[in-house]
Amino acid sequence: MVGAAPRWMAPVALAFVAAIAFFMLVPLAVVVASSLSSSEFLVFPPRGFSLRWYGAVLQSDAYLAAAWTSIRLAVLTVVISLTLGTMAAIALTRFAIPGREAIASLFLSPLILPSLIFAIGLLMVFSIYGDGPSFTGLVIGHVVITIPYVVRTVSASLVDMDPNLDEAARMMGANWWQRYGLVILPQCRAGMAAGAFFAFNISFDDAVVALFMRAPSVETLPMRIYSTLEFSPNPSVAAVSTIMIGLTIVLVIALDRAFGLGKIM
Amino acid sequence: MLIAPGLIFLVLAFFFPALQMLGLSLIGEAGGLTLEHYAKVAVDNFYLGVAWRTLRLALVITLACLAIGFPLAIVIQRSAPAVRAALIIMIVLPLMTSVVIRTFGWLVILGPGGLLSWTLQNLGLISSPISLMHTETGVVIAMVQVLLPFMVLTTLGSLSRIPPDLDAAARTMGAGFFRAIGHVTLPLAIPGLLSGSLLVFALSISSFITPSLVGGVRLQVMATSIYQQVTGSFDWGFAAALSVLLLLVTLALVVPYMAAAARAGGRG
Repeated sequence: MVGAAPRWMAPVALAFVAAIAFFMLVPLAVVVASSLSSSEFLVFPPRGFSLRWYGAVLQSDAYLAAAWTSIRLAVLTVVISLTLGTMAAIALTRFAIPGREAIASLFLSPLILPSLIFAIGLLMVFSIYGDGPSFTGLVIGHVVITIPYVVRTVSASLVDMDPNLDEAARMMGANWWQRYGLVILPQCRAGMAAGAFFAFNISFDDAVVALFMRAPSVETLPMRIYSTLEFSPNPSVAAVSTIMIGLTIVLVIALDRAFGLGKIM
Repeated sequence: MLIAPGLIFLVLAFFFPALQMLGLSLIGEAGGLTLEHYAKVAVDNFYLGVAWRTLRLALVITLACLAIGFPLAIVIQRSAPAVRAALIIMIVLPLMTSVVIRTFGWLVILGPGGLLSWTLQNLGLISSPISLMHTETGVVIAMVQVLLPFMVLTTLGSLSRIPPDLDAAARTMGAGFFRAIGHVTLPLAIPGLLSGSLLVFALSISSFITPSLVGGVRLQVMATSIYQQVTGSFDWGFAAALSVLLLLVTLALVVPYMAAAARAGGRG
């Protein structure tokens, strides 16, 4: 790369990047700092140091139940979204389906519709034709908003695939199951892993679909955090949020190690 | 057919709800087709004000993301690989963190007795505590942090497709640093900047969590007033009409974005 920027640019660029890094990361940092406070209130600077709020969270049935709901929801979403999305991506990239372009954009269309608007539509359908919002409804909603990511990542990995491999397998007498199980699916692995990451992350973090599809007995972690913030913020919310930030950091690093963030974003 | 299960699922779980909402927005209280819900938006000064605030905030947020995002993308693009990777993590990590948690951070910063007020007081710039909660400034600051990654990643995509030789050529021909940026990089980055802006604008008009928590009920935007209609007043026809209006604006922005992304050959 060319580097002929004026000499005074280097410190300016450095200061600019430092300011933006501060701006981007400070909201996460204050959440972590607040979770370590020993005081009852969320004030700055945090008073004293203690891990008592982590203890409070781990003993709170409401938080544990919400965490369990969030994990079940995210895992179910990943399994269903990955199954439907991978099948669709394979069909769309390998077969000459009539209207393929149109069908491909149908699968990506949930990306266009703001999740807020989709969530209201889903709530209306469940209330008019069913018994109102439920855990099942939430799973369906999350599969819809995550499927485009799976279709996109799996299609991208299939485009790089060598078509001769499948041809060779067929000529050697491999049956349908062997071809898909041993030749085609293994080549989708990277795309499926990236798709699963996005699906898990989106489902685990979503508060919008969850708030609209709110059923009395179903509460996810982001919903619980949202409603606590609306009424009475306290450091235990900060402790839960810090745990979720930690999980995100682990996932982002794993993703970076596995594929390189620059490539898939 | 491998595609049938996914397609049937999407038709039932995605297109059907969308059509259901369109239908509800057109059915009056007495049944029968009507535009009364839409008329209610047009004649009610409160909702006109909400719509105007939503668009105005989205415009300010988009311009701020553009002003910060473009230079940042240039710096990232020109950094050494290790620095570049670190900067991309700095952009992606907040993006991957739940919006609820990022907004929570802003509540602690902007609220009364928060980090901002404390810092300004210690610097002697203000004498009594301030709070940016329930202000448009507060909403804009928080929303820019939430949406900046979309602008940076989109712009970075278009910058990486500019052949580096072009820049070197401009330099060899005697163009200075800023001339090269202004006359070579900027014109070629415009598709990326444009699609980034459309994306940020579209996401910002339909954002719910941040305006709801930072702005509160006094500072309603389209998304929060729709939520109120659905969960508070149970006026579904009106909520559906507001949603359809929001959707129309979004589509008007996103369809050109998708077309631009497809033309650029990017992954959108």
